[in-house]
Amino acid sequence: MQIIENDKIKEIMYKEKLDNGMDIIIIPKKGEQKKYIIWGVNFGSVDNKFILGDSNEVTKIPDGIAHYLEHKMFEQRSGINSLDALCALGVDANAFTTNNFTAYLYECTDNFYEALDEFMDYVQNPYYTTENVEKERGIIEQEIAMYDDEPEWQLYMNTMKLLYNKHPMRIDIAGTKESIAEINENTLYTIYNNFYTPENMAIVIVGDFKPDEILQEIKKRIIKKASNVKITRVTEDEPEEICGKKMEVKMDISRPIFMVAYKVKMKKENMVKKDLALEILGNIILGKSSNLYQKLYNEGLISSEFGFDFEYARDYSHFVIEGSSEEPEKVIEEIKNEIDFYLNQGINEENFERIKKKVYGDMVKDYNDVRTIGNQTMSYYFKGINLFDFFEEFDSISKEYTEQILKEVFDENKKVISIVKNKE
Amino acid sequence: MGEKQILIKEGIKAHFIETDLFKTNLICVILTTKLERDNVTKNALIPFLLRRGTNNLKTQTEINKKLEEMYGATYDCGIDKIGDNQALKFFVETINDKYTLSKENLLEESLDVLFDIIFNPLMKDGKFNEEYLKIEKENLKKVIESKIDNKAVYALNRCIENMYDNKGFGIYKYGYLEDVDNIDNSSISDSYKNLINNSKIDIYISGNFDENKIKSFIENKLSNINPRKEDIITNNFSTESKQKVENIKEIQEEMNITQGKLVMGLDVLNPGKDIQDAVNVYNAILGGSANSFLFQNVREKAGLAYTARSTYNKMKSNIFINCGIEIPNYEKAVNIIKEQLNNMKDGKFSDDDLENAKRFIIAGIKTIEAEQDTEIVFYIGQEIAKQKIEIKDYISNIEKITREDVIEAAQNIQINTIFFLRG
Repeated sequence: MQIIENDKIKEIMYKEKLDNGMDIIIIPKKGEQKKYIIWGVNFGSVDNKFILGDSNEVTKIPDGIAHYLEHKMFEQRSGINSLDALCALGVDANAFTTNNFTAYLYECTDNFYEALDEFMDYVQNPYYTTENVEKERGIIEQEIAMYDDEPEWQLYMNTMKLLYNKHPMRIDIAGTKESIAEINENTLYTIYNNFYTPENMAIVIVGDFKPDEILQEIKKRIIKKASNVKITRVTEDEPEEICGKKMEVKMDISRPIFMVAYKVKMKKENMVKKDLALEILGNIILGKSSNLYQKLYNEGLISSEFGFDFEYARDYSHFVIEGSSEEPEKVIEEIKNEIDFYLNQGINEENFERIKKKVYGDMVKDYNDVRTIGNQTMSYYFKGINLFDFFEEFDSISKEYTEQILKEVFDENKKVISIVKNKE
Repeated sequence: MGEKQILIKEGIKAHFIETDLFKTNLICVILTTKLERDNVTKNALIPFLLRRGTNNLKTQTEINKKLEEMYGATYDCGIDKIGDNQALKFFVETINDKYTLSKENLLEESLDVLFDIIFNPLMKDGKFNEEYLKIEKENLKKVIESKIDNKAVYALNRCIENMYDNKGFGIYKYGYLEDVDNIDNSSISDSYKNLINNSKIDIYISGNFDENKIKSFIENKLSNINPRKEDIITNNFSTESKQKVENIKEIQEEMNITQGKLVMGLDVLNPGKDIQDAVNVYNAILGGSANSFLFQNVREKAGLAYTARSTYNKMKSNIFINCGIEIPNYEKAVNIIKEQLNNMKDGKFSDDDLENAKRFIIAGIKTIEAEQDTEIVFYIGQEIAKQKIEIKDYISNIEKITREDVIEAAQNIQINTIFFLRG
């Protein structure tokens, strides 16, 4: 097993590639009562076009299929629903689908190995029938309806539609009522057989474990499958330009919310460093101690913090800023002016050092809970990043580098604005 | 492990939870008073004013810079409804000194900042800054207005308000729009002084620290704060007497939404003895987990909902059922839910259902100590309800619950109010 240590947070990580190509990552936490396991599949909502084997034919699959499949993994041939079975063991089991991957997981204090039997069994044994696939449609339709009423989600989806011309980030993870109508047991099996293959999956385990022991237990439960399917993901040629500048909708909400986003050009570079620099920049420009925050707060234009995030995966990256205000246009203009100020004047050394310290503290705080550690490790794994890299790269982030990223990312021509207003 | 209580002076307690499981220390100071329509809005405004500055850190920016320097210590204040009480919860989370880059002493520093914010606000001649008051009244209004934004929480709040006729537990914890305008500087300054002088104060610290040092630090910091008689409402199994409901209240409200939100408020009639653990198990079978009757029947079998669950409010002896459903399915969903309640009364649940439910609850109890904030919230609840129980006893009490206990509890559970938020 490969051993990776981090001195700053005093943690250690074990990594092993199994014979079948699947990666197992173990993060032992001595004395921790909770145990967490997450099984990730490198298949998310953006994977909607691919070529099978050596054919030339591009297969397009219905939007929302990764999420639909996730819902349908729990049903077993025996008639048992694995979610119920896990629940009966007193473990907290769940699954989720993101743009980039699908994950199955559970957290527990007791019965870890009993649960592991069920867990590894269901992820490796799909059972889809016309009837059970049909039954799920109503449930997922209600899940979609729930998101339709969530202003924050609509705000975000509109932002994605403005940023991307062709890229499937434009599409809702759960799909639409219409797109999921096309899904049946055959489409689900095709996806499962082609994407749920060992080299396309990984497991992360966090808790009070002996690495060798838990690794053996995992190995014992892996089902050998012949896997020689070659999948080529087809990615759209997404232009560097944005798709639209601004979108505004009205919903039942107490006060307008807005999102400003910058499309960031993809290139070969150290994404960990870029991520850290943008975290620092976000705090300097928009954070609670920033001039902008204090000014807008005193003018009564905002009353709570801005949110910001740098989101990226293998073929997209963007930086989003969100907030709420009675006068979103005015606040958006002030954000622009503030960014211009920093573009012209650069960053103040004292601010930089203080914020850097804060960002470090935020990273340490994130390393508290087995579930957060597991989820983050998994999410970064599919980006080709080890979570410890953030601590390793931290010292190397200079003011100069951060200013360079500032100039690169905050380009007015790559900026989009999404607003959800309240009905009068 | 466990909580150690130290009486600082009458009405003021420190609660130490020593653990080295976490990378952080968490401090939480809670000021608790009775929920009253006359005071709720003013009390809700106080945390907004306190974050504007102290006599040492004169502006909000100074406070925020100070927190950033402390490795981004997180400061926040929340307002909670605990039974019939309003609790102002101020907290700071810092990384443990072990993980600082140059061995700083963050715990004392953060206690210092927290006490400074709560007990030493920027005031002149006993009054808050006029300008700040004006802005923060607007900010509070925004919070009150945002009640409609999360539809599921809104529907739950509306159900509770109707059940309790807008009194006690039925008061909205952030207060009322129409009361904000009437607040002036002298009334809010009086409210603040009243809160500091008369509320029940509890200080929770979870993490890795030297108890004696921190105890004397707190005593020293609070030397000017007077002792007080606790004046809160105790809610527990012996205090909540419910009337038998003749007619179920049915309320429907319209909003521009695609998915309807159904909330049912249930009363647990008081049979004169502690049936909390049995009701807890009852609730888990009914709607606690993915194995529950609600999840299985409303969602999995009928495919009517994505969300279908119930939660038990021990202090108020209520169970609340929540479902997100298609609007025309209202009657259908209500009937399926009623059928589940009847099945519970008739004892139509298996031994597996019972065991699964108990295991589900016990698994939850076992994670209490594994999460810093959950553990503090657990002890706060005990403190306010005056019901002290050790984690291991809590677990063995649940283990002891029999099928008969649950059936008996079921006979005492009735629907009080059905609230439906529709498009």
